[in-house]
Amino acid sequence: MIKVENLSKRYHGPFGGGWVLNNISFTIPTNVSVGLIGRNGAGKSTLLRLLGGMDHPDKGKITTDARISWPIGLSGGSKGSMTGRQNVKFVARIHGIKGNLGEFIQKVQAFAELGKQFDRPVSTYSSGMKSRLNFGLSLAFDFDVYLSDEATSVGDRAFKDKAKKAFKERMATSSIVMAAHGEGLLKDLCQSGIILETGRAVWFDDITDALNAYHDISDGKADISSFMNSTSV
Amino acid sequence: MSDITESDLRKPRGSLKVTWDVWSALVLREFTSRTTADRMGWFWMLFEPLATIAVMMFVREYLRHSMRHVVGAEFVPWLIVGLMCFYIFRECMTTPIAAISSSKSMFSYRQVQPIDPVIARCVVGGMLRGFIFLVIISFSMMIGALDFPYDPLLVINNLLAVWMLGSSLGVLFAVLAALVPEIGRVVRLLSMPLLFLSGTIFPIENFPLYIKVYMSWNPLLIAIEKVRLGFFQYYHTLNDLSDIYLWSTIIMILTLALLMHVRFSTRLKMM
Repeated sequence: MIKVENLSKRYHGPFGGGWVLNNISFTIPTNVSVGLIGRNGAGKSTLLRLLGGMDHPDKGKITTDARISWPIGLSGGSKGSMTGRQNVKFVARIHGIKGNLGEFIQKVQAFAELGKQFDRPVSTYSSGMKSRLNFGLSLAFDFDVYLSDEATSVGDRAFKDKAKKAFKERMATSSIVMAAHGEGLLKDLCQSGIILETGRAVWFDDITDALNAYHDISDGKADISSFMNSTSV
Repeated sequence: MSDITESDLRKPRGSLKVTWDVWSALVLREFTSRTTADRMGWFWMLFEPLATIAVMMFVREYLRHSMRHVVGAEFVPWLIVGLMCFYIFRECMTTPIAAISSSKSMFSYRQVQPIDPVIARCVVGGMLRGFIFLVIISFSMMIGALDFPYDPLLVINNLLAVWMLGSSLGVLFAVLAALVPEIGRVVRLLSMPLLFLSGTIFPIENFPLYIKVYMSWNPLLIAIEKVRLGFFQYYHTLNDLSDIYLWSTIIMILTLALLMHVRFSTRLKMM
């Protein structure tokens, strides 16, 4: 279970502006996968960063007993000058894996299917290859909750299917919080949804309702506040 | 698959254990990238001090007698010891400056804090330069240019001070340079005049008194002079080289640096 209470976040500095997340609250029950829906810049990545413990909220708090992954996404997570293998070793080590490092690397390698490229610097990887590596790496740990920030969006067809399958296999023991624009993928993997809009968040128990509401909002037929009273937790 | 989970992951690690794991991973990473990424890495680390020593031996011939006369020690071994200390200091002070920006991608993992790559660089830099120190000093002893230290404990103690002083400044400048990038440039520029101001190349005893008074405030100078005192029994230098002053400066800088890391840790991750 992940409980988010009165969470607010703004970015400071010369380019910082208003509240990216303004006093949002919701609870993600254990084993429920959630899709984060919202326009570009609505705060999806920020929310994932906060859930992943990369960043701290300005107000409010997040309480959880689950082991949460880092936000698996396009940017970050591996150092360009090091090879895929060196990066995997590094991440394994900071997570405290020592004895069965070899086995761990094999697991990542098997999922990422990078071939010879696995021993070349990450800076030579295509974006799809980077996401394979990052994805394989996170799946090699058994997290309770995986955070995905458009992690599969650049993968090819075969990889997307493989990622989807890997998540479905884990449904019994773990869940996913994903930001994605692919609605088919969201419907496939998530049960519930959260719409983020103008710093506010609305929880929907059913992802289909969330997507319909999102369509209404982006078509200008409805406003975020009209959903807030009825369904927000 | 499940045995990784059971043995390593299920039981949560304490925060000290997490920090230790992160540090060892970063130190290992830093070591591989420093020694293997650049083909010539080892060569430059040896060549740079050797070249400086050679140039200084040449320049010395043209120096005024007063500037090259060292009381109680031969100039060349005196120079070698001082320069090798200075390199340890400079390495630990300047390499951490870029540590935070070059480890940005690692902050995706919440276990890694901005101070961790900085500390890893201080440790690895100290070890590499310490190793070079050993190599060059032992070589000088083998060819008879240098005698075995008269007081080895004093040498070790003050080498530690040189390393600690450089590292605490490195930790401090890593935060400052991340907040204000210009500071990084200024610090790199300053390392050159510091070579002269710390009595590494010109003996402090040969400076006029009114300059010496101010130079003796430099903790690096104190540490280097003390290492030399450990090497040369009859070496004549400043009378009041205060251990208390040296170590309290180090502790003050380090405390300030660590406080700043705590204060700005979230901001540093975002930089």
